[in-house]
Order: sequence, then structure tokens, then C-alpha cells
Amino acid sequence: MRAEFETAAKWTVGLLGLVLALLVASALVAPDSVAGEVLDRMLDAGYASAVLRVSVPITFAALGGIFAEKTGIINIGIEGFLILSALSSVIAVVSLTGAGVDPTAALWLAFFVGIAVSVVTAGVFAVFVIRYQANQVIAGLAIWLIALGLAPFVSLVVFETVNSPSVGTFGTWRIPILAELPGVGPVLFDASPMVYLMLLAVPLCWYVLRYTRLGRYIRACGDNPRALDTAGISVSRTRYIGVLLSGVLCGIGGAGFTLGQLGRFVGAGETSIGGRGFLGIVAYLFGNYNPIASFGGALLFASFDALQFRLQEIAFLNVPQRLLQALPFIVVILVLMLVGRTRIPAALGEHYDEKE
Amino acid sequence: MRERIEWLFGVVLRFSAAERVLVSLSAVVFAIFVGGVVVLVAGYAASCESAALYILGAPVCYNPVEVYLVMLEGSFGDSFSLAATLQWTTLLLFTGLSFAIPYRAGLFNIGAQGQFILGSLATTVTLLWLADLAPSGLAGTLVLVPVGLFAGTLVGALYGLLPGYLKVRFEMNEVITTLLLSFIAADLAFVAVDRFFTTDDIQGTVTDRIPEEATFSPLVFPSSTDFSLPVFVFALVVVAGCYWLLMRTAVGYDIRAMGAQPKAAVFGGASQRFTTLFSMTAAGAVAGLGGAIYVMMILGRWQTGTPPLGFDGIAVSILAGNNPAGLLPSGLLFGALESGGRAIQLRLGVPSELIEVLRGIIILLVATPELFRLLGAHLNRRGIIDVDTGGSD
Repeated sequence: MRAEFETAAKWTVGLLGLVLALLVASALVAPDSVAGEVLDRMLDAGYASAVLRVSVPITFAALGGIFAEKTGIINIGIEGFLILSALSSVIAVVSLTGAGVDPTAALWLAFFVGIAVSVVTAGVFAVFVIRYQANQVIAGLAIWLIALGLAPFVSLVVFETVNSPSVGTFGTWRIPILAELPGVGPVLFDASPMVYLMLLAVPLCWYVLRYTRLGRYIRACGDNPRALDTAGISVSRTRYIGVLLSGVLCGIGGAGFTLGQLGRFVGAGETSIGGRGFLGIVAYLFGNYNPIASFGGALLFASFDALQFRLQEIAFLNVPQRLLQALPFIVVILVLMLVGRTRIPAALGEHYDEKE
Repeated sequence: MRERIEWLFGVVLRFSAAERVLVSLSAVVFAIFVGGVVVLVAGYAASCESAALYILGAPVCYNPVEVYLVMLEGSFGDSFSLAATLQWTTLLLFTGLSFAIPYRAGLFNIGAQGQFILGSLATTVTLLWLADLAPSGLAGTLVLVPVGLFAGTLVGALYGLLPGYLKVRFEMNEVITTLLLSFIAADLAFVAVDRFFTTDDIQGTVTDRIPEEATFSPLVFPSSTDFSLPVFVFALVVVAGCYWLLMRTAVGYDIRAMGAQPKAAVFGGASQRFTTLFSMTAAGAVAGLGGAIYVMMILGRWQTGTPPLGFDGIAVSILAGNNPAGLLPSGLLFGALESGGRAIQLRLGVPSELIEVLRGIIILLVATPELFRLLGAHLNRRGIIDVDTGGSD
């Protein structure tokens, strides 16, 4: 509990410090200069909202990764779950609206289709690594590589291009009165439903892992599977639950990003997910498997991811767009250098043979 | 019960070489079957003017058998197809090595793609810079070819050393760093070419052509192909060299010991720091060399949209049991898939991304030898359960 408080305190201080530094900088820098312009763009509510929106897939990927790894299963396949749920949700919207379903209902149904596809993928992955003892890192990579090929393949077959048409988004839900609050109002209370979902999911996951029986089983499963087994709890069943929960959370991330923000699927290159699943993995390594601290990591990476969209608006700055795309990854590597080693679950990546 | 015990013994035992070959072959057969199902489902979902076949009266656009036949013809059917296959095989030998070497040291290099891209860019830039300085004709070739190959190798090696260093210095997981560095490399190369090296001749993010003296012309094969037999032989020599390094030298022994039994290896005097830095640098070097050859043999320039040869290399190596000795057949298979994939897209309209799906399925299945063991046990249930327990007691 104490460590928890310390982490939370560290984060609050860190984030407040960052905001403060930016405010001071904007006060000092001449408003007409390039730096002034950049800071203005960063400090408005629009940027804060963008960061929250962009952090949705990263946060859910991180939460998903935590649940798998806490049970002792390395899940590099997260990116693949995100890609497949993103694509399937778009296909579902197109076919549902084509069948005459009301657009809003279609979006929500498609959201659940995306989650379902992610869960099925997670199930396949789980059978391979738990039942058939596949090398977890390689199997996870394989899931990513399959998704990376399958998504544009399916998109080409269904839409005849690698990029889907636009399908619209959930838009924002404005919470009356609270949204009027100065500063935080428009950011926190006039946001996409996916952002609200994320803000609920983070403390919920933290609570489940920390205070529920399932959470205790999951943590024991990754740290001391023999003890869990001795206590009469099935290790492989707990691992299946962990990986399937990982599939649910990643599905929310992939479909939520696609239907909550982007409104379409892009199959070219690394797809529209573009490594956000891997950013999620780094976020939980950074947050030392703590959902709340990992959310902080996700916000940090998202703040650089969101810069892409913001800095492009400043035409005279002329930063190459691909450089901005690489920025979150570069930041991630620098941050990991500073954070150093994280304490991983003791039995991570090891197969456990249940004696009869 | 007896079965169960014998099965558990089987798990404990290391798989023999013959079993591994069997697993790889079964994985390929399985993947081809699953790929066929994917093609059928896709053919059912796709819309086309004339159906390739009817199943229960429903029109299906693609016929899996036809797809595989076209793929086979497009990879070995004539000298042009064969040249295309061997051209990809050549490159896959390098990217396959790039995964295999660190794997033997217990490390995953997922970053061959980035090392390959930066190596190819370094070669291009160096050769463009030397274009005006170097003599022409044979003398030019003698200068430019080694320099070009060296530039790619050097930059690839440095970009492989980086995650190795991050691993020993900051204990950063190399799976994550190599992967992220791959993404970064693609973006940085794009920006560098877009800003500094772009040509005025054609549209897009493309450099000027490198001097003719630095390119490998096709021998034996038709002159319109991009395959040069001596380069293929050179690739085989590099593979043989790496085999020798891993299997016959003290460094190779340390690397393999570190992969198999890190504690015993350290006790035996091997340095984890050294094997990590060495194997990652070597991995980057071979990937960068592959990138250099990609530019000098195939493209003649650098352009954006490098095919995922680095990621294919993972599959090539895993299918080969991460043993350089197995890289040639495995590289040939994936080379054939690469050229065959282009053929099915061109002639049947089946997206060539199917190849990437097959690649992923093969990796997944080879990583799961247990599946085939259980399958074999299941098939043998009526007869003698044939699990090799030799040496376990």
C-alpha cells in the first residue's frame, strides 16, 4: 500500500511539474516566436483532449498486457489484437449500416464485434502458449505478423483497397454543468465515451488486481504458480482468464481507437494501429505493472503521439511528419533508459506443468 | 496415464535434429492448408465477375488449388521467376542470419528490418557521394563494390550494437528495443531521403541512381532480371562463415552456451556482456549487408516502401531451427513465397498479403513443436507409443 502511495505521489508531482514548466516557459517565451506558438498549441484544451483520446489504445493495450503478464504469459501479440479488432469493427459498421441498422447502434454493435474478434484471437494465442507450450515471445510475434498480413488482406478483399472508407465516430458526450468548468471541463467532461471508459477501466483494473480474489490468483500465478497449484487453483485456467481478459481490454483499445477517434481502418504500412500496442507494452514496463502508473506512461507517450496532429497545423514550422511519427518511439527508448529495470513476475514466460 | 507420463518425458527431452526437420515440414504443410482455407473464405467474401469455382452452389472467386499452382509457377516456372525467387532468397539469407545469431545467444533480434533499411540507405548515400570521385570501368567496380558493401555492413552493425548496448547497460528488453528501433529507422530513413537526398528525376521519396559500376549485373539469368548468381554464392559463403563461427569457434561456443544455459556459461567463463554485444552487432552487420545488396543488386537506388524482408527473416530463421545450416532451404521457400505472392496478385487478383499470413502461421506452428508431438501421439494411439526417451534415465 505504501509503495502504491509513493508511486501515485511521484506521478502527481511529475505531471504537475511538467504542466508548471510548460506554463512558465510560455510566460517567458515571446508569444510571436516559434517556441511561443508551439507552447500555445500545447497548452490549450484541444491538445489535452487529443492526448486523452490518443492514449486510449495505448492505455488499454497496457492494461491488457498487465493481465496477461501478471499470470506469467508474455503477450507480445497485443499489437495484433488491436489491429484485428480495429479492422473487424470497421467491417462490422459498414455491413451493419448496409443492412439498415441505425448508425449509432451500428457503431456500438461494431464496437462489441471488435472486442469479440480480439477475444477469439486471444483465445487462439492462449491455446497455443498454454495448452501446446509454444514459445511465448515467438507465438506473440507470430500473432502480430499474422494480423499485419491478414488485416490488409481482408481489407483488400472486402473494400478493394487496403484502407477502409470512413465510418464516422462516437463523437463526444458532453456532461452538463461539469463541462462548463474552466480548464478541466472541456477536457474531462466533453470527451469521447472511450475516454470515459478508459478513465473507469484504469482504477477498476487496479482494484481488481489489488483487492479481489481473482487479482490475487492472477498475481500468484505469475510469481509462484506452484503455490497457487498447491492451494488447489488451476494455473492454466488462471492463465486462460488472464490472456482472455487481455483480449477484452485490447479489443476495447483497438475498436475504441478506431470508432472513437480515427473513424476508419488504414491497412498500409504498419496499419493505423502503427505500434500503439507496443507503446502499451512499454507503458506497463514503465509503470512496473501497476495500472495507474502505466496509465501515466501511456499519457506521456500519447502526449508525443498527439504532437503529430498539433504541430502539423503550424505550417511555418515545417517539421517532417514522419519525424513526428517516430517521436513517441524515440521518447520511449529514452524514458526506458532512465526508468531502468522493472520487476517482472518471477515465472514469466515459463511453462507450468500441472501434476495430477 | 502411461501416455501422459511418456508425453511428459518427451517435453523434457530436447528435440532431435530429425524431429525438428519433421516439425518444420509439418508446419509448412499445415500453413499451406490453413492458407487454402483463408483463400476459400476470402474468395467467398470477395466480389468478382466470374467465379473460379462453386461450393454448394455458392460462387467463390478464388480457387485455392489454382492459387498455389500459380504461386509455384510464379516462383519456379521459368528463368525469370526463378531469378526473382533466388533474388529474394539471397536477401532472406542475410536477414535470416540476423535473427539466428542472437537467437543462439538467447536474444531476440526483431530489428533486422531497421538494420536492413539503414544499411541500404548508408550504401546508397556512400555510393552517390563517391560517384564523381571514383574511376570508371573495372577500377571503379573494384573500389565501389567493397566500399558500398562495407558502408551498409557498418551502419547495420552500429544499429544492431545499439540495442545490445541498451541491454547490457540499462537492462532494456531487446525484443522491445529492436522492434521500436525498426519503426524509428523506417521513419528516419524516409525523412533523410525526403529532405536531403531526393532526386529531381522522378516523383516520390527516391534517391538518384547509384553509379553503374557499383551494381551487380545478372549473369547466367536473363539481363532484365535483378538476380546475380555470384552474389548468391557470396551469400552462401557468408552463411557458411556464420555457421563456422557459431559451431566451430570459441566465441560461437560461448554464444551457444549463453543461449542454452546462461548460468553454466557464466560459470564456465563466458561473459554475457560480450556475447550480447557481439551477437547483436553481428546480427546488425549481416542485416546491413543484406540492405547493401538490396540496393546494389536489385534497386540501384534507395526508395521508400522497403518490403518486410527483415520480418520475413524471422520466419526464415525459425523455420530453419535457427541453425545457419537450415537457412538455404528455408530461405528458398520464403523466396518462392515472395515471388509467388506477386504472381497471384498479378494474375489472379489475390492480394499478395496472403504471403504474410502464411509467414505468420508458419512461425506460430514452428514455435509449437508440442502440437505435432501430441498429434503424432494421437495418430499412434492404437500402436506402440513411439516417444523417444533415450538418454533420459
